Amino acid sequence: MRLGQKRLVGIVANPESGCDVRRLVSCASVFPTSEKVSMVVRVLAALGSFGVQGVLMMPDKSGIAAGVLRATLSHSARAGDPWPEVQFLEQRIEHTADDTRFAVRAMLTAGVRAIVVLGGDGTHRVVASECGATPLVTLSTGTNNAFPDLREATIAGIAAGLCASGEFDSSEICRRNKRLNICFDGRHEIALVEVAVCRNRNIGSRALWNPEDVSEIFVTFAECDSIGLSSIVGLLRPTSRDATEGCSVRFNHENPVSWVSAPIAPGLIKHMPIGSVRSLPLGQQIPIDADYGTIALDGEREIEFTAEDNAYLSLDMNGPLTVDVRNTLELAAERGLLASRTSHPPTHIKGDQQDDY
Amino acid sequence: MTTELNKEMLLRAYRMMRRIRDFEERVHVEFATGEIPGFVHLYAGEEASATGVILQLRKEDYVASTHRGHGHCIAKGMALRSMMAEIYGKKTGICGGKGGSMHVADLDLGMMGANGIVGGGGPLICGAALAAKVKKTDNVAVCFFGDGGSNQGTILESLNLASVLQLPAIFVAENNGYAEATASRWAVATGNIADRGAGFGMPAAIVDGHDFFAVYEAAGEAIQRARSGGGPSLIEVKVNRYFGHFEGDQQTYRGPDEVKKLRETKDCLLLFRGRVTKQNLLTEKELDQIDEEVRNEVEDAVAFAKQAPKPQPSDLLTDVYVAYA
Repeated sequence: MRLGQKRLVGIVANPESGCDVRRLVSCASVFPTSEKVSMVVRVLAALGSFGVQGVLMMPDKSGIAAGVLRATLSHSARAGDPWPEVQFLEQRIEHTADDTRFAVRAMLTAGVRAIVVLGGDGTHRVVASECGATPLVTLSTGTNNAFPDLREATIAGIAAGLCASGEFDSSEICRRNKRLNICFDGRHEIALVEVAVCRNRNIGSRALWNPEDVSEIFVTFAECDSIGLSSIVGLLRPTSRDATEGCSVRFNHENPVSWVSAPIAPGLIKHMPIGSVRSLPLGQQIPIDADYGTIALDGEREIEFTAEDNAYLSLDMNGPLTVDVRNTLELAAERGLLASRTSHPPTHIKGDQQDDY
Repeated sequence: MTTELNKEMLLRAYRMMRRIRDFEERVHVEFATGEIPGFVHLYAGEEASATGVILQLRKEDYVASTHRGHGHCIAKGMALRSMMAEIYGKKTGICGGKGGSMHVADLDLGMMGANGIVGGGGPLICGAALAAKVKKTDNVAVCFFGDGGSNQGTILESLNLASVLQLPAIFVAENNGYAEATASRWAVATGNIADRGAGFGMPAAIVDGHDFFAVYEAAGEAIQRARSGGGPSLIEVKVNRYFGHFEGDQQTYRGPDEVKKLRETKDCLLLFRGRVTKQNLLTEKELDQIDEEVRNEVEDAVAFAKQAPKPQPSDLLTDVYVAYA
C-alpha cells in the first residue's frame, strides 16, 4: 500500500527547541535531542495502536530524524504492535523556521489528518501560520511554554490517532485558538500567546528573558499557573483561552502603579513594575507605540523596528485548531471506542478507513 | 544583559570580524602560491563566533583555540604582521616561525595557542581556569572546539573536571557541520553538542553563529557567570566555514552551491552591516573606512611576512626549554 492511501498523521519535532540562551540565565534545562526522539517514538507507538498507518515527518540534521529512523528499524526487527510507516519529507534543511513551514505545507498536501507538534510556543506559532484547518496535537519540548501541552507523549499520540480516525467531528474535540496578528512593513506574522515590545535593538539570541527591556505585552490568553512573559498577565488578570478578548499590560519602570512577581523563566522570578492593564478586544487595530526596538513573538525577538517603521497588531479567533487531549479520550471512552467486546484484546480503532495490513 | 553596545564597541566588533575575514581570504590566496609551508585551516565564515566571545574578554583571560585558530588569535589581539609571519614560517613570527598556523600562540595576550590536537584545548583551559580560581583573580578561560573535538575524550573529561571543580570556564563548541569531511549529524550522537551539558551538570545553550549579536549576548552571560563564581557553561555556536577543512580540500562532501549560498545569506559581516546601518548606529561610510584600513593592514602584513628572514638552523636549539628561575 502506498503512503498516499493511508490514514496519515504529520509530526513536526523542532530540533532547536529547548536549547536557547535561557539555559544560561535561568535554571531552565536543555531539552535533549534524545528525549525528543523518545517522545516521537512514544507517539508512533500510540498512533500504530490506534489505526494510523502512515506518518510524515519533518527531517532535520540534529539527530531527531536519525534517532527515529534507528528506533523504527529496531522496532521492526522485534515482534510488537505495528508502528505506522514513517516517511521523512524530502526537503532542503536550512535549520530555520522555513523548514517547519515547508514541512507543514507538504503534510497538508499529502492529506494528514492531524499534526503532532513537539516544540515550544515559537514552534507552534510557525506551524500555526501554515496548518489551516488541520488540528494540532501539541507537546511541549521545553520548560518555558504556555501554548503546548506538557504531557506524556503516548497519550498525545492516542489522541492524535483518535483525531485521525474520523470518528469525531473536529468541533467535538478541538479548540479554536486566538491569535495576535502583527503587521510590520508589509510583513504579516502571528503570535499564539503574547507579543512583547522590547527596547533591545537587535533580536540577538532571540529568547527574551530580561523583562527590564520590555515596555508592553499583549496576550491572547494568560493563565495564573503559566510560566514566561504571559504569567505577568496571568497573575494580574487571568484570561482564559476561550475568552473573547485578550489583555495587555504596559510597564512603567519609572513610576509603577503596582508590582507583580512573575515567573519569567524556570527559577527566574522577576518583580515587574506595572503601569496599566487593559482588555484587548477582538478586531481592534493597535499601533506599536515605540521609537525603536524589537517585537518578540511568543517569547522570541523576531522583528527589529525603528521610528520609520509602522507596526500594529490585532486579536482574532482564527488561530489553529488544537486537539483537547483529555476531552478526546473522554469522548472516546463514552462512545466505547476504547473497549473491546470480544475475548481478545482490542487491536486498534478502525475508523473510516479499512486497514489492509 | 542587553545587546546595547555603544558606537565604539560596534566599530571594534566590525573591525575585528573584518580583520579575520580579510586575513583568511588573503591566506587562501597566498597559500595557493606555495610560499606558505604546512597546513592551514581557515576560519572565514565563523568570525562572529570568535568576535562575539573574545570582544568581552580581558587581556588576562585565557583562550585555547583549535587547528582553525587564526580568528581566535586575531580577536585576542595578535598583530597581523607577526601572525602572518608565523604562518609563513618566518623568524619574525610571533613564535619565531616554529609554530606555524596550527601552533600560533601568545601567552602575553592570554592566547594559549592554536592546537593541532583536536580537542586539545579543554585540558589547557581547565588548568588556566583552576589557576584563576586558586589565585582569586576573577579571570576566566575559554576553550573553543569543533564538532569533531566534541567527540574527543579530552573535551568530555574537561567538561567533567570544570563542572566538578566549578571552574571559571566557558566551552564554546563551534559546530560548523563537518569534522574534516564527516558531517556532524552522522558523528555526534546527541545531535546537538549542547545536549551534553546536562550530563555534566553544566548549563548549555545553542546560538546562531552567523549573528554577532546572538553570540555576544550568550557569551556575555556565560562570561559573567564564570567571572562571578557561577561556574562553567557550554555554548554551541551553529556556524559554517567558507573554505575546506584545510587548504587544498576538494570538499566533495559539500553541495555544489552550499558555500555560495552561505556567503549570500549567512555572512556575519553583511548581516552586521545591514543591522547597524538600518538602525542608524553606524554609517556605510564608517564601515567602508574600516574595510579600507583593514585591506591595507593585511596587505602590509603579507609584505612584512614575505620579506622577513627565515629561521636559521641554529634557531632549532632555542626556545626548547623554559627557565623557571
